[in-house]
Amino acid sequence: MSDSKKYFIARICSLLKLPANSLSANENEISAFLPLHELPLIVKRLCQMEEARCVFIGATDDRKNSKSFGLQYLFSIDKESLLILLRSKVPDHSLKFPSIAVQVAAAAAFEQEIWEFFGITPEGHPNLKNLLLHEDWPSETFPLRKDFDPHQKIKRVEKKSSNFLQVTGEGVFEIPVGPVHAGIIEPGHFRFSVAGEPVIHLEIQLGFTHKGIEKLAEGKTVLEAAALAERISGDASFAHSMAFCQAVEKIAKVTVPKKAQVLRVIFSEMERLYNHLGDIAGIATDVGFSFGAAQMLRLRELILQKNDRFTGHRLLRGVNIPGGVLCDLTAEIKNELRSFLNLLLDQYAPVEHLYFETDSLMDRIEGTGIVLEKVVRDLTGVGPVARASNVKIDLRQDFPYADYPNLKFEVAFRKEGDVAARMLVKMAEFKEAVSIIFQALDHLTDEPLVVNIQSLPEGSALGWAESARGEIFHWLRIGRDGKVERLKIKSPSFSNWRILPWAVQGNIVPDFPLINKSFNLSYSGNDR
Amino acid sequence: MNKIVFMIALFQAALLMILAPLATGLIKKTKALLQNRQGASVFQPYWDLLKNFRKEEVVSETTSWIFRAVPLICFSSILISCLLVPTISIPHTLKVTGDLIALVYLLALPRFFMALAGLDAGSAFGGMGSSREVMISSTAEPALILVLFTMAVTAGTTQAAEIIRIVLQKGWMAYGPGTALAFVSLFLITLAECGRLPIDNPATHLELTMIHEAMILEYSGKSLALIEWASMTKLLLFSTLLANIFFPWGIAQETSLISLGNALIFFILKIGLFCLLLAFIETSTAKLRLFRVPDFLGTAFVLALLALLSQTILKLGL
Repeated sequence: MSDSKKYFIARICSLLKLPANSLSANENEISAFLPLHELPLIVKRLCQMEEARCVFIGATDDRKNSKSFGLQYLFSIDKESLLILLRSKVPDHSLKFPSIAVQVAAAAAFEQEIWEFFGITPEGHPNLKNLLLHEDWPSETFPLRKDFDPHQKIKRVEKKSSNFLQVTGEGVFEIPVGPVHAGIIEPGHFRFSVAGEPVIHLEIQLGFTHKGIEKLAEGKTVLEAAALAERISGDASFAHSMAFCQAVEKIAKVTVPKKAQVLRVIFSEMERLYNHLGDIAGIATDVGFSFGAAQMLRLRELILQKNDRFTGHRLLRGVNIPGGVLCDLTAEIKNELRSFLNLLLDQYAPVEHLYFETDSLMDRIEGTGIVLEKVVRDLTGVGPVARASNVKIDLRQDFPYADYPNLKFEVAFRKEGDVAARMLVKMAEFKEAVSIIFQALDHLTDEPLVVNIQSLPEGSALGWAESARGEIFHWLRIGRDGKVERLKIKSPSFSNWRILPWAVQGNIVPDFPLINKSFNLSYSGNDR
Repeated sequence: MNKIVFMIALFQAALLMILAPLATGLIKKTKALLQNRQGASVFQPYWDLLKNFRKEEVVSETTSWIFRAVPLICFSSILISCLLVPTISIPHTLKVTGDLIALVYLLALPRFFMALAGLDAGSAFGGMGSSREVMISSTAEPALILVLFTMAVTAGTTQAAEIIRIVLQKGWMAYGPGTALAFVSLFLITLAECGRLPIDNPATHLELTMIHEAMILEYSGKSLALIEWASMTKLLLFSTLLANIFFPWGIAQETSLISLGNALIFFILKIGLFCLLLAFIETSTAKLRLFRVPDFLGTAFVLALLALLSQTILKLGL
């Protein structure tokens, strides 16, 4: 460890009132318990002086054991590769905790979620309103409390008036769109306030696909919960299961065989390949450039078919389990994959060229939907959205997992922050992903695929993975019975949905679908 | 004899109405093939129309009589426009009904009422569609008039049939630099007037980007079928204008079955080629940003103005 890093760790430890040696050399997580009243000040110092980024805030219902609710704040200091987990307790007779949303804008949505699902109130929250459960949800019903029965039928109440921000003035109109859309997409309600065509304000109401996955996971064995994790968001099946499995493996203190780690890299890059091609095709579709879209979609379909052939599932479900992977690549398939990737690169290059050569397409996407770097930093945007706005974060590089430490790759990033930048980042990541798979194929050894996890001790751990949309974090707590006691899922869409309104502001209404597509966020991942 | 003229004139209008869905189907099929898709049959638009004619109609309670009247107004004014444009024969048009200037206004009428219908139901999308349509047509219409005047100046008449006869008579002498400019201009106007790419995407599902489709979102059943049929016919009408005024070869100049049959084959070939061209353009370009549309139509206007000036100068021998 270098001196500057040592100094940095010591500084953080003293800030958190921990002994200076609480972090060993190869670890990148630090955890501290703080009393509630000290939280805001320390968080403020972390965020303002150490450039910490709020990753998520979660809560647990520990009333049975300690007559309190637990709070977990995860911060990341990306440039030093350090994750800081702050824990705190809310006694069950007060049910209040101090809000940090004013200092840390990104915390607002997480605090709303905790308020909605646990019934503990963030005091001083600037905009406390429904997030995922809608206005017809009965009050005093908190789904993530332990005494809530997920199988009961909830009696919906009379709908309270929705509290959208109203923009008034001469010539200002409201355009409500959704939740049911004309295309085959997920449901979400968008409310635009416009003056003519330019958008003044956009408010988004999600939660229509809330499935209660975090609640459903409780009481399940880790194997059952892993299958559940694959279903959080369809096109990030592998990334979610990877984050979950790594959390389990950390609790079980097992090391996954090298071969399984390499295979996990290969499959998660395959997932990135088909996702990025789909996103790039979507941009062409939304500007009516059907030829370019059709070509990209054709390549995407080829990848999905290979996924199916190699693993038996187009979206790579059922491949990952806690302890390793279930699917081997034989020598024959390895060769097939290599020649497929070469073919893919060959066929991709002219299509990419076609995009750049089509002036009508480039004219539409350049300068459209600009996201400022400050917006991304304040709202802790992740993934290609952040990287297109000059925020260079990528879990594969900052907090490498699986076989990523042994691979060479560049994290693509751009400064413009517009639709074109997001498309270019995805194009660069596509090519990078192919090169990663090529490298990883050489790392495959002859080893077992799975290590057996006999029994799980009580405990909690973080698991993470960089999906095509950005970072996924799973915070898992295993109870005394070896079953899941709490699973907090932080999907990349949850942060990036808050950024979308800022990208749309000042653009014209007919450009919204294009900007939305360049984000291509998951409704299901946000709603869980 | 008069009876025959009348019958053939009606047949020409009917031909446009009947072939319109086929032209749309041909464009869709070509686009599908260009995208490596199989695509629906070229006859699919007929089945879609038939389906909509049979379906129950749902009308919003907040609408007024305008909403119900608009499909009829649209359909009938397009039907009358069809009578003004010669498709396969020039001696058999109903001269009493009007000329190219009447045509421009017969096309403006449904647009005006369609914009009203878009606003009538009070939905946000209809209003957006109407405001965009009016913005586009206010720039497209002057250009259209100039283009038609260019041809009128060349021929010395505003009757479509007469223009075609004179172009045929003069042969290559009828063509000047102005004609080429006018053709390009009319082509651009066709894209805008008929809601094709790069102005409007007829295949989009994105409510927020729609123009023509946004105005008719509230329609269903028979009304929708009438409107769709009218807009398909409008597209064919514009392509007929392009094909027959600028390339009138093959059109029948006398009343005989052979020349009419010949003319029909030529007409179908010309329209088929035009559909292929349109499909190719729609496949290879992206849609313009909404506020670029006035630039696009401005180009069409300037081209038309240049065309008119050059034709006038040539004509006057200045």
